[in-house]
Amino acid sequence: MRAIAVTTSRVLLVFAMIAAGLMFGGSAASAATVSINLCALPGTAPLTDAVTVPIWGFGIPTTPGDCSTATASLPGPQLHVTLSATETTTVTFNVINALPAGHSITFEIPGITFDAGAADVDPGGTLSRSFTAPASPSAPGAANAAGTYLYGSGGDGGRQQAMGLYGALIVRPSTANQAYESAATAYDVEAPLVLSAVDPAFNNASDPVAFDMYKYRATYWLINGKAYPDTAGITAAAGQRVLLRYVNVGYDNTTMMLLGMHEHVVAKDARLLNSAYNASADTIPAGATEDVIATVPAGGGPSDSGFPLFNRQLHLTNGGQTGQSPSPLTGGGMLTFIHP
Amino acid sequence: MARRLRRLGLVLALAAGSAVLIPTHADALPAGFPKIGMVCTPGSVSGTTHTFNLVANTGYADTPDGNSIFMWSYANHDAPDNDHFQTPGPVLCVTEGENVVVNLTNTLPEPGSIVFPGQADVTASGGSAGLLTSEAAASGGTVSYSFTAGNPGTYLYQSGSDQAKQVEMGLYGALVVRPNATTCPPVAGTNCAYGAGTRYDSGREYLLLLSEIDPVLHHAVETGGTYDLNARRARYFTVNGREFPDTIQDNGTALQPNQPYGALVRLQPNTATNTQPALIRMVNAGLLNHPFHPHGNHTTEIAQDGRVVARTEHFGETIGSGQTLDYLIRWDDVDQWSPASNPLPVAQPNYRNLTFKDGNTFYSGSPYLGYKGTLPTGTVSQNVCGEWYFPWHSHALNEFSNFDEGFGGMATLLRVDPSGGCFGSPTATAIVGGTLKGGTVAALTADDAAYYQVNPKTTTRPTATTAGQTSITVASAAGFPASGNYDIRIDNEVLQVTGGQGTTTWTVSRGQLGTAAAAHASGAVMTALANDWYATFTGLPAGAANLKVTYKGKNCSNTTGTTCAALISNVPQQTVRICDWTVAGAAGCSSGTSAGWVTLPPPPSQPRDVGSTDVSSTWTIPGSGSAYVGTGAYKGQVRVLVHTQRWTTPSPTAFSTWGDLMKIVYDAP
Repeated sequence: MRAIAVTTSRVLLVFAMIAAGLMFGGSAASAATVSINLCALPGTAPLTDAVTVPIWGFGIPTTPGDCSTATASLPGPQLHVTLSATETTTVTFNVINALPAGHSITFEIPGITFDAGAADVDPGGTLSRSFTAPASPSAPGAANAAGTYLYGSGGDGGRQQAMGLYGALIVRPSTANQAYESAATAYDVEAPLVLSAVDPAFNNASDPVAFDMYKYRATYWLINGKAYPDTAGITAAAGQRVLLRYVNVGYDNTTMMLLGMHEHVVAKDARLLNSAYNASADTIPAGATEDVIATVPAGGGPSDSGFPLFNRQLHLTNGGQTGQSPSPLTGGGMLTFIHP
Repeated sequence: MARRLRRLGLVLALAAGSAVLIPTHADALPAGFPKIGMVCTPGSVSGTTHTFNLVANTGYADTPDGNSIFMWSYANHDAPDNDHFQTPGPVLCVTEGENVVVNLTNTLPEPGSIVFPGQADVTASGGSAGLLTSEAAASGGTVSYSFTAGNPGTYLYQSGSDQAKQVEMGLYGALVVRPNATTCPPVAGTNCAYGAGTRYDSGREYLLLLSEIDPVLHHAVETGGTYDLNARRARYFTVNGREFPDTIQDNGTALQPNQPYGALVRLQPNTATNTQPALIRMVNAGLLNHPFHPHGNHTTEIAQDGRVVARTEHFGETIGSGQTLDYLIRWDDVDQWSPASNPLPVAQPNYRNLTFKDGNTFYSGSPYLGYKGTLPTGTVSQNVCGEWYFPWHSHALNEFSNFDEGFGGMATLLRVDPSGGCFGSPTATAIVGGTLKGGTVAALTADDAAYYQVNPKTTTRPTATTAGQTSITVASAAGFPASGNYDIRIDNEVLQVTGGQGTTTWTVSRGQLGTAAAAHASGAVMTALANDWYATFTGLPAGAANLKVTYKGKNCSNTTGTTCAALISNVPQQTVRICDWTVAGAAGCSSGTSAGWVTLPPPPSQPRDVGSTDVSSTWTIPGSGSAYVGTGAYKGQVRVLVHTQRWTTPSPTAFSTWGDLMKIVYDAP
C-alpha cells in the first residue's frame, strides 16, 4: 500500500514542544497549512493476484488539478497529517470529481469538523473542504486532534463507498512514533488496516446506481484492499510494539481475532479511551476506527507464518463458493500475519 | 434431516411407558456433576501438568423443533466419556500456572487442529504445519498442544483448520483458567474469576457459550453436498449447544444425550448472609456478534478475553464473535414486596382475565417472590414455589427463535429463588388432641400478632370418684391418646392414665406430679395436660430437598379469654414432629401418637421448654425430602405436628398453645 506523506516538514517541532513543556499548544496566532489533492475516479483494483475488479477510488494526481495523472487505488491513498507543537494546522482537501456523469461526490471524514463550505460536487468540479487541527498536544477531546480516521465519499446513497471511494487519514501528534499524545500509545511498527469488502458483481455492474442492492453480497473480504494470500504481512520482531490502526470502511461490524497475544486497545474513533483494555478478539463497528498496541511476545506464533490476525466472522474465503469446502482451501479473505 | 425422527422415537418410547431406554445421564459429564452451573471436564493432573485428551468426531444435536443436526465437535477421550460425542466441546478447566497439554486425535475427513485465542506461546508437537497452527491429519491423525496457563480467565478454544467450515460445524469449546491461591486467597464457599476483587459464590458459576447453526451447511457436510458459504444464514442460535427451551434443562439430561450443558442461571437474593455474586462466563464461539440481553438486574462486566477491564454495568452488551466476557451478577430484592407486610400498592388483575400463551407459564399466579397464586383453569405453570424467572436472550430477535419460530434459540432463564429457598405456609390444620381455642391456619403464615390457639382436650366423669379408685370411666376418650401413658387433671389432682387408652375405661395412678389423691364429685371435668395438632403444607415438588421447618409459638396458662396469661414456671415441653409418609402413609400420621411422626432432628434438640414467650426454632432435614413429601392422594403434602405436654411437677395445670408462625423452606429441584 502506498503511504504518501503530505505534511509539511517541520523538523524543529519536537524541540519546540520540549521548550513548551507539557502545556497544550500555543495560541492560534499562527497556522500551518497542509494541502491534499485527490481525485475520485474510475480504475481497477487487484483483490488477489488472480482477480481484478473495476473500482471507483481516490488517487493523488501527480500534477495537481489533472486527474489524468492520478490512479485510483483500493483503498484510497493513506493520508498523513502531522500536527504542530506550536500552532494550529489547517488541512485542505481539494477533491476533483472525475467520476462518470451523474455521480456527484461528497467528501466526509467522520469525527472531523470541517469548516463551512460546499459539501458535494458534480463531475468535473473540485470540492474543497478544510478543517483546522489544534496544536499538539491538545486538550482532551479537542476537535480534529490526532487519531485514526477514515475518509470517503457518501455519494450515490453509499454506493460510492461500496465501489471503493474510501481510505484512511492518520493525524499524528507532534511526538514521533506515538499514535496519540499519550506515551502509552508509543509504537515501533505502524500498521493501518483498512477493512472492507467487495461484491465483484456490484463493481462490474455497468451502473452501480442501477444495481439491485437487495442482491448485494460481498465475496471478497479485504485488508488494505487485498484478500489473503495477497494481503501484506506485518513485520515486527519480538518485543516490538505494533500499532494496529483498524479502519472499518465495510458495512459489517467486524471482529478481528489475534492469536498468540493480546492487543491493548487504546483508542476508538480517534479518541483515547479512558479505560484501555486488552483483547484477543475485538469488534470494530462499520464506519469506526480503533487503535491497538500489540506487543509481539517472545517465542513464535502458533503458525509457521507468525501470529494470525483474521476476521472472526470467518470471512476467510475468496469469491463464489460452490464446492464442498470453502475456497480457497488454503485460506483467503481477511487474514494476515504478524511475523518477524 | 436424516436423523430427524430419532427424537420422535424417544417420545413414543416414553409414551409406551418404557423408561429403560433412558440413560441416567448423557455420559459426557464427570461423575457427581451438578445439575446446574458450569461442569468442568477434569482431565488428568500430574505434578503441574494438566492433560486433556480430545478427539474431533461427529454426531448429532437435537433442536427443540424436532430437528437433528449433524455436527462436528471435540469429545473427551478419557473415561467415563470415551469419545462420547458432545456439543460444544468439553469445558477445560485448569489452574493458573499449570502446564496444559491438549492431545488431539482427529477422526474427521479433513485435517483438524485447535487454536487457543488468548494463550501465548502455544507450542505444537506432532501433526503437520497448517495455516494457523499445526494440524492432525484426517482420519486418525494426532497432534499435541502445550502452553502455560497464564492469566486466569475465560477463553475460547476452536479449530484452526478450514475454519469457515469447521467452526460452523461445531469445533469449539471453553477453556477456563482459574486463579491460583496467590492470586485468589482461599475463602470458603467462594472462588475468584481473577483477583480477590472478583470473588463469587463458587456454587453459582455459570458458563454461557453462544453459537449458531446454519442447518443447510451441516446437511451439505453430512451428505457430501455443496454449500455456498456466502449465503450462510444461521437458523439455530445456541447457548451451550442447546436452543431454548432445552437450555433450561439440567446438565446431563437424558433428553439431550449429546448436549450435556444446561444454561439455567439460578440465584437467591443477596442478603446479609448471601453476599457473593454469581459469575457468568460468556463465550461467543459463533460467527455472528450477539447482543445479549439479561433481564432482572444489570450485570457487571469485569473482563474481556480473559483480561480484567474497567467495570461497566449492562442490560445489553454485544459479545463479539470469538470474544469472551465475564460478568458478576447479584440480585437484590429492592422492593421487598410482601403480601403481609408490604403489599403492592395496586390491585392485581383477576386471574380469570389472564391468558397465557399456549396455556403455559413460568408465572406462579402471585406477584410476590416465594408465593403461588391462582391461575386460570387449564393453565400449566412451570413454577415450583413462587420463584421468579427472567429471560436472558439475544436481542437480535431473529436469534430468539428456532428456525424462525419464537420463542426459542439463543435464550435461557435467570431463576431467582426466594431468599433461603422455596418456602411454604400451611394450608390447613388439624387437631388430633385438643380443641380449637381460636384463630385459623392463616394465623400461622406470618410472624405477627395473630395466633392459632389450641386448648387441651376435656372430658367428664359421669359419676363420683373416690380417692382410692384406680379404674375410672369417662364420658369420651376422643382426642386423648390411644396409647402410652399420659397425665390428666381433675380438680386439684393429676392422674396418670396407664391402661385402657383409647377406651372410656382407664386404669389410672392417683395423686401424681406433686398432687394428692382426692375424691371428686360426679360430673367433674377431666382436662388433658397436653395437646397435639398438625399443620399441612401442600404443593411441594417431588425432589424437594433440605427441608427446613420453622415453628414459632408459646403456651399460655389460660384456656379462655383473648390475651395470653403468663406461664413462666413449670413450663410445658414442646416437641415438633414431621410426618414420614413411608411408615404407614396417611394412617401413620392420623393421631398424635401414630408411628409415622418423626421428631425433627437437632439442632435444636427437643423437647423444648416453651412458656408464654414466643420461642422460634428451625430444624433442617438434610438431603432428600422424599420421605416427608406425600405421594398419590397426598401428593406434595408435608405435615408437621406440634405436641406440647406439661407432665412435670409441681402440680401442672391446663394450658393453651398459641402458634404464631409455621413455615417450611426447601431447595426445589
